[in-house]
Amino acid sequence: MRVEIVQAADRASKSQSQGGTAIAVEPGEVLLDAAERAGVPIPFGCRTGACSTCTGKLRSGEIEHVRAPRALKERHLRTGYVLTCIATPTTDCRLEVGPDVQAELLENPWK
Amino acid sequence: MSDTDSSREHSEHRHEHEHDHAHHDHEGPGYVTPQAAIEKSERERIAYVLGLYVGTDVDAPDFLATVDVDPESDAYGEIVDRQKMPTKGDELHHFGWNACSSSCHIGGLERRYLIVPGNRSSRIHVVDTEDRRNPELVNVIEPDAIHDLDLSAPHTVHCPAGGSVMLSMLGDADGELPGGFLELHEDLEGYERWDESGEIDMNYDFWYQPRHDVMVSSEWAAPSTYQPGFDMDDVEAGKYGHQLHFWNWTDRTVEQTVDLGAEGLIPLEVRFLHSPVSTHGFVNAALSSNIFHFWKEDGEWRAEKVIDFEGREHDDWDMPVPALPTDILLSMDDRYLIGANWLHGEVWMYDVSDPANPRRADSISIGGYFGETRAVQDRELVAGPQMVQMSLDGERLYWTTSLYSTWDNQFFPEEADRGTVMLKADVDPRRGTMTLDEDFLVDFGDLPAGPARAHEIRWPDGDCTSDVWE
Repeated sequence: MRVEIVQAADRASKSQSQGGTAIAVEPGEVLLDAAERAGVPIPFGCRTGACSTCTGKLRSGEIEHVRAPRALKERHLRTGYVLTCIATPTTDCRLEVGPDVQAELLENPWK
Repeated sequence: MSDTDSSREHSEHRHEHEHDHAHHDHEGPGYVTPQAAIEKSERERIAYVLGLYVGTDVDAPDFLATVDVDPESDAYGEIVDRQKMPTKGDELHHFGWNACSSSCHIGGLERRYLIVPGNRSSRIHVVDTEDRRNPELVNVIEPDAIHDLDLSAPHTVHCPAGGSVMLSMLGDADGELPGGFLELHEDLEGYERWDESGEIDMNYDFWYQPRHDVMVSSEWAAPSTYQPGFDMDDVEAGKYGHQLHFWNWTDRTVEQTVDLGAEGLIPLEVRFLHSPVSTHGFVNAALSSNIFHFWKEDGEWRAEKVIDFEGREHDDWDMPVPALPTDILLSMDDRYLIGANWLHGEVWMYDVSDPANPRRADSISIGGYFGETRAVQDRELVAGPQMVQMSLDGERLYWTTSLYSTWDNQFFPEEADRGTVMLKADVDPRRGTMTLDEDFLVDFGDLPAGPARAHEIRWPDGDCTSDVWE
């Protein structure tokens, strides 16, 4: 599968149409492993689906989680957030990654 | 090692310890008593501080920073060494020694190796500090090995007498509950699970008081709950802790659980008094913004709220801003309880010479949402005081400003781009006063790889949150 990785930090400086870096993902391979192999940085932590550090947002295409995505709530899964450490693409995808994507999951609840 | 062997070894150590104290012998690491730590220790010249890049745009591993805190040195206030971890994504958080004053009677043991766990990665690093200014990574226990024990998310490190090391583990292999404890053997290579799975559900910090054969452990939440960040829905769903567990240290079983209730949400740092005869201690219920005193009376452990920090109104907030006292410590003479209110921006000291009735002695209003001091040496403070550490003589208090990467992003988002600062106050332990030392500033925002967060602080020769006495 071909997955285009867009760094969220580039959102401000680049237009939505501008591309990211395309990487090849082997069948069954998780996105984080494929990105590391290609030298494309994605932050990560536990690599088991618990901590959400590696969260990406799917802009197009489909993925499946190979383990339970415990770090994500239902509302996150519904809105396209994926855990790149345990997600493998089932179609070509476009994926936004970076710490800003993780930070979107939870805001200050009281402010 | 079987439980029986361990108990036997423990009682032998106790015997040896009583013998040695009778002769005022002191062959091992640390100090014979807490007062000896105050009298015999030299001023700290080096601080070890954990630095973090996890979850930021800086594509680099976390590191152990060596900070020069010697005012006589040309490098005073500078980060003089960074021992990088071998892998990215650790979230270094708390760390501890292979040996402390609990082994003061055991010749041949040295306080030399730092055990440095990654809370997100579940990777455990062993760092040799023989060369104090250039610590060296000497062993790594990989996450798979930890997961094989159905454990994850290492947190607190303590060193029972004899050279083994205990770590609290906050989750199972999936980052869910239950957590448990890991024991590293004296060679710092072998390891095993210390407790029976299911003895507790949630875990966080622990402290042990050998003379009473007791260990106390506290509760944060499952890694899959707290690691992504703070969600009020999780509090309402009962996913955050509010209990203390009192363990039989020899039997490795929980003898009593004390529920702190709605005013005791997220009990974090548990601190027994340093005096080995005492059964008194304190815990900070961070979310409820209360401090609880716990003690043993008529054979039962009890806990009672003794300090209540009120929320404060803020124009940008829908509700009063809670103080969030996220760290506490006891001065080595057990006279002062010191802590930091991360959101409010306050470092405080309470006289706890009567532990049931703490008396506010002094405070510094700095950083956070309400602190009066907004900058040190023109460096803007973008977060509140958080992790505290005190000199053994009780005359200097240092702190850093990062809590946990994802929680920082919610409450002090600028910390990711600006990095953490390490600050210091001079303390007068006779007068009960503290004064910000504006000449001291360590800026983790100004590093070659990029701005870093910083968390726990330790000195090479022991500190107020490492040392325990048998």
